[in-house]
Amino acid sequence: MPRIPFGNWVNSVVEWLLSHAAWLFDFFKNVFNGAYDGINWVLQAPQPLILAGIFAVIAFWLRGTVAGVLTFVGFAFIDSLELWDHAMMTLSLVLVATIIALVISVPVGIWAARSNRVSAVVRPVLDFMQTLPAMIYLIPAILFFGSGAPAGIVATLIFALAPGVRMTELGIRQVDKELVEAADAFGDTPRNTLFRVQLPLALPSIMAGVNQVIMLGLSMAAIAGMVGSEGLGADVNEAIGQLNVGLGSESGVAIVILAIYLDRMTSALGTQASPMGRRALAKVRAAHGLTVWNYRPRPAVAVVGVVVLALVAGGMGMFGAATTQAPVADASNVGKGKKISIGYIPWDEGVASTFLWKEILEERGFQVEAKQLDAGPLYTSLASGQVDFETDSWLPTTHAQYWKKYGKQLDDLGAWYGQTSLELSVPAYMKGIDSLDDLKGKSATFDGKITGIESSAGMMGLLKDKVLKEYGLDKEYRVVDSSTPAMLAQLKRAYAKKQPIVTTLWSPHWAYSDYKLKKLKDPKGAWGKGDGVHTLSRKGFAADNPEVGAWLKNFRMTEKQLTSLEADINKAGKGKQQDAVKAWLKANPGVVDKLAPVKKSSTAGGTGEAARPVNVAWFPWDEDVAVTYLWKRVLGDRGYKLNLKQMDVGPVYTGLGSGDLDVNFDAWLPYAQKNYWDKHKDNLKDLGSWYSPTSLEIAVPSYVKGVKSLEDLKGKGKTFDGKIIGIEPGTGEMNLLKKNVLPGYGLDKEYKVVDGSTPAMLAELKRAYAKKQPVAVVLWSPHWAYSQYQLNKLTDSKKLFGEGNTIRTIVNKGFPSKYPQLTKWFKNFKMSESELGSLEAEIKKRGQGHEEQAVDAWLKTHKDVADRMAPQ
Amino acid sequence: MSRLQAEDLYKVFGRRPDQAVEKLRHGADREELRAGGTTAAVIDASFTVEPGQIFVVMGLSGSGKSTLLRMLNGLLEPTAGHVRFDGQDLTALSPRDLRAVRSKKISMVFQHFALFPHRSVMENAAYGLEVQGVPRKEREKRAIEALRLAGLAGWEKSWPDELSGGMQQRVGLARALATDADLLLMDESFSALDPLIRRDMQDQLLELQKTLKKTIVFITHDLNEAMRLGDRIAVMRDGRIVQIGTAEDILVRPANDYVASFIQDVDRSRVLTAGAIMTDVPEDYVHGDAPATVTEDTPVIELFTPCSTVGVAVAVADKSGKLLGVVTRERLLGVLGEAIQPAEQPSLTKTEQAEQAEQTEQAEQTEQDDVPTPRGEGDEPVEKVITGA
Repeated sequence: MPRIPFGNWVNSVVEWLLSHAAWLFDFFKNVFNGAYDGINWVLQAPQPLILAGIFAVIAFWLRGTVAGVLTFVGFAFIDSLELWDHAMMTLSLVLVATIIALVISVPVGIWAARSNRVSAVVRPVLDFMQTLPAMIYLIPAILFFGSGAPAGIVATLIFALAPGVRMTELGIRQVDKELVEAADAFGDTPRNTLFRVQLPLALPSIMAGVNQVIMLGLSMAAIAGMVGSEGLGADVNEAIGQLNVGLGSESGVAIVILAIYLDRMTSALGTQASPMGRRALAKVRAAHGLTVWNYRPRPAVAVVGVVVLALVAGGMGMFGAATTQAPVADASNVGKGKKISIGYIPWDEGVASTFLWKEILEERGFQVEAKQLDAGPLYTSLASGQVDFETDSWLPTTHAQYWKKYGKQLDDLGAWYGQTSLELSVPAYMKGIDSLDDLKGKSATFDGKITGIESSAGMMGLLKDKVLKEYGLDKEYRVVDSSTPAMLAQLKRAYAKKQPIVTTLWSPHWAYSDYKLKKLKDPKGAWGKGDGVHTLSRKGFAADNPEVGAWLKNFRMTEKQLTSLEADINKAGKGKQQDAVKAWLKANPGVVDKLAPVKKSSTAGGTGEAARPVNVAWFPWDEDVAVTYLWKRVLGDRGYKLNLKQMDVGPVYTGLGSGDLDVNFDAWLPYAQKNYWDKHKDNLKDLGSWYSPTSLEIAVPSYVKGVKSLEDLKGKGKTFDGKIIGIEPGTGEMNLLKKNVLPGYGLDKEYKVVDGSTPAMLAELKRAYAKKQPVAVVLWSPHWAYSQYQLNKLTDSKKLFGEGNTIRTIVNKGFPSKYPQLTKWFKNFKMSESELGSLEAEIKKRGQGHEEQAVDAWLKTHKDVADRMAPQ
Repeated sequence: MSRLQAEDLYKVFGRRPDQAVEKLRHGADREELRAGGTTAAVIDASFTVEPGQIFVVMGLSGSGKSTLLRMLNGLLEPTAGHVRFDGQDLTALSPRDLRAVRSKKISMVFQHFALFPHRSVMENAAYGLEVQGVPRKEREKRAIEALRLAGLAGWEKSWPDELSGGMQQRVGLARALATDADLLLMDESFSALDPLIRRDMQDQLLELQKTLKKTIVFITHDLNEAMRLGDRIAVMRDGRIVQIGTAEDILVRPANDYVASFIQDVDRSRVLTAGAIMTDVPEDYVHGDAPATVTEDTPVIELFTPCSTVGVAVAVADKSGKLLGVVTRERLLGVLGEAIQPAEQPSLTKTEQAEQAEQTEQAEQTEQDDVPTPRGEGDEPVEKVITGA
């Protein structure tokens, strides 16, 4: 039987299409991207709960009260899982794919219903599309459409088209022949017969098809995540890659909620859309009578509800959109009367820094408005873009809840004041009360009251929910909500009369310089670590105002500067804050030029390359998470924008080769990813290794005695059930193992390498480890599994696994000419084992979703790293 | 007024239909063709339907009557032959013009009603007008009128599946009437209804026909229905028309054994009328002696009682009381016999025989000359060809 080179033919076709039909694919890519961005923009614009409300009204209309309530609960749940943004991305992707699928499948279905020949051609094509494993067209999808949403849409589309076509064809074909003949007999044209008779009667079937399209589309969401589509799919992949079942299931449940909602809504829409369905519904309702549970608003009412909510949502979106439209300031002629709005909470350090910046920016030619707001509204205004920035966010602890909620719509411009602390304070004359523990049993002394500040303040929440409980004070003491001035007034009054008082306070605060106060010690660390006072801006503020952005990023104040300014403002009194600032600036010359240097241009590398965002692909492996977020942070400070895309190995190489991706920091070469490198090396460039050496190995748990080297495996086949748990077949390490290592040690007869995937291998390891069963897995160093479990790397005395890989930075071929500065930095980049280890540990400690904070924290203890990586 | 004419219609399904038609013209029969994989559904059908006539095509299932009907409005294209309607050759029209003819001039009523389940009764009735592009107000007005004619006033807002079978077919009838088409094609329209309702519908159709005077082609497999409705009846067998004539022609003079066996079970006493069997008034007949005077369309069955009482023949008179003919006791018994052959009628007198022959001739002539029947001009729904000379 001669070998038919089918694979080669496919390769040739792909090559040909790439070189000759690129314009076509680019066109589709733009269409997909445009549709996706548009829908995503609409879905992301409103407040989550308002949109959840809109969804609920739709459910109320289509299915009734219970469905409406459940919808709201379900979507609120997604929001509370902090998966809202990603859920909306997934929803956008599915909607775009569904719309495109319907635009294609309904006409094709109609055509197939009218012509047996077309039907005969279409059917095998559909079978093909539905059964072809997704991975096979995912990779070409990247080649043609680039990674991200378009590739995800294509993958979903291919998978989801079939039911749309099939159900449309079936629906039309099963319309009673006599009815079609009747239409014909009355002289109706085929076209009108279609619209007057066939489509209305086929509608239930077509809607069932729509429903199937959406369901299949959602089931593809996880797979779409593998090619860098944002959304829940990416979360699932990331969580599974790190064996985080809990997080994976959160994303999974969010997908299920979306699926159930879309399923119920489309099936209800199916009955609602066809006259027959409406009649059936009316009959059922007539039979059961009208109750709250099956009451459904008339379409007009529902439409009004949706429109009202949408207007509310749209209104909020409009404000955000309007401010981002502002023109970019010229570096040489700063300000030009451009309006900047600063929000502040009436806390002393906030007032001080806000009016300081108001004064500085006005001196630099801006028109500045300072708005006083409560903490909650401040974050909301900032997130919606009505306020440009504020300077008084205590992160990561005190304002954690706001950051959690709004962080994604905000930019953190960094801390301008170092360690702060929150505390309860008592006057120094209160003897014997030095720590929070000492408060216990003393409630009678303090009248059972702790004098608090604004209930919206983060520290109040922390105090009530955490601190009091930890020290067992929550039964004994009542926290009195009031305001900062009231608290200070109480303190002043009590202090003057030497009465006992316990107040919430924080450092830095001028009260400590005015009164003798004791900060109560917090041995249990319930208040959390010291915060930094951060400047937060609305998303994109720094990009719109590069000068101001840079100034704010470099803003620092010493304790002396801050407390002296606060004291001056406090003395001047309300309404004269800015005068006090002016006086203070006179007394502290040079501060303005230091804080807002005029000559210095914003930080880009001179060539303008920073203007172009860099697409960085990363694997959900610890070393790559660490290095990628580190670079993101460091380059972010240098004015670059990095788009991070999490992907699988194959897609990353494909994307880099096609130029769709720019950089990957985690190329294990020359061995582990050899196969991918060889395939794409013509289009890639190696910028050298930043970490070495690594090793590939087989690892066994340390409780398996007597197995220390590969030689030891011999004769132990029974112990390990004759299996070595492998990873993805075809990877360099697996090939090495099968071709060289096992035969080299004479193990190839005794052991079978189980092909699988990295997550599957890790899951198997975890299972066996928990039961203390013998297991041999394919592993590599560095890997977090070594810190998680006690594992022995089997020594490879014959060096058959090779001399150790290095972790290299690889880029697309065109990258060096596009980003000369980055290329230089990447080439010189090195990391030591301890640096990488400590960064990985920090990230692991903070948990998924907090990588950026972890990097920030780590950089504080490794101050030289940033300048070493990207010297200025 | 319109007139429908079918000329040498052939319809052959299968491969190379034209060759098959040639073979059929040269005397091949259906079985031969079937062996070759082609089916001849209609073979050499020719007939004329006069304006205002109900023309019934009768035959067993598979005889080709539905295929024939669908060629008349172009739903099926004849393999050979022509359909002329209102002077237009339908077979020569483009699909577009053909659709225009169907929407304006020909409408159709179906066996299983073929009502659109997603449209209300009114929307169903207005469908043909919608196809014509009549504005909504106007078409609703006309649909309501058509529904009223069909006896469904007040049901406009209902849905088809809320109606009984008979009512549904009334909607089907209203839909066909609403377009004001001249030609009504009815494809076993009453076959799916139960007998009582079927009879009602037949009555209603006859009633409507008195005022509307449409040209109707009615397909049925029910001989009694054919006899009741048909001004003229075509009997089909195996794709061919074996006999065309009035109900009496078919009953009294079946063209062959097939027709004879077909009509065997017909209740002649109900189908035949006094006018059909009456003989000339004998010279010595005294009208006053007659046990009863009946009209021409009195069914034969009603003559038995009067005939049995006295020996005198029953008088047949028109509305004005003018004596048209008589029915004697012998004649009455004679016509009830099987397949009446003129020669075998012992009861007929010589004159009667001659007359009979003449009348047959006349009937044939009628067919050939396309002379409009008097039907439709008078109020009498049935006026027979055999009338007193």
